[in-house]
Amino acid sequence: MHDEYMIPIVIVAILFIGLPWLVFHYVTKWKSQATITTEDENLLDELHDLARRLDERMSTIERIVQADNPNWRAIAADPVETALEDRSERLYESGRTSNRPARRT
Amino acid sequence: MSGLRTKFYLDKQNRKWLGVCSGIADYTGIDVTVVRLGFVLGSLFAGGTMLLAYWIIAWLAPKKPRELYDSDPDQKKFWQSVRASPRRAGRDVRARFRDIDRRLADVETYVTSSNNRLAREIEQLR
Repeated sequence: MHDEYMIPIVIVAILFIGLPWLVFHYVTKWKSQATITTEDENLLDELHDLARRLDERMSTIERIVQADNPNWRAIAADPVETALEDRSERLYESGRTSNRPARRT
Repeated sequence: MSGLRTKFYLDKQNRKWLGVCSGIADYTGIDVTVVRLGFVLGSLFAGGTMLLAYWIIAWLAPKKPRELYDSDPDQKKFWQSVRASPRRAGRDVRARFRDIDRRLADVETYVTSSNNRLAREIEQLR
């Protein structure tokens, strides 16, 4: 007797209070964290564009250096104080492994 | 206020019916066919709910502004990653700058060291 009145009330409460509450809870949560402002967006756009252009320029410079000396990465990887001074001497003497063999001969 | 490029729009240019599926595909980066298939299967199994959802989205969402139809796929991909997670997109941009910095440092080391070697060579010729 008591249950027959309670069940519809509970269902109506869930449908009209619980469900909207749940939905709005997640909607507000999602809105508060996922948005970025217009300034953020413009900044990000500019940074992305800048990174792309710098990347292209860097590639161009690397190509130029590569054309100048195909062995340049090995030289750049060496620590300045130990390798560059001493090993450059050895490279010149050994001839074929030199960085610029054409000029030395 | 949310930004212009991080909003959801109807993609009327690639639409089949009202542009909701192509809009979702454009927003998330999921393939359009997959989204459409999902909607079709969803409306077959769930009946009216999916069609109602489709219609509500089409009614609520604004049309995509003309200037946002950028032909650059790289740009499109970048904004999709921003929409998915702005923080991660920011970290990606920072990683690209660090990469450029590292490559520039390599070139710098090479150029300065080759200057050094040239100076020694000239010194030896004297």
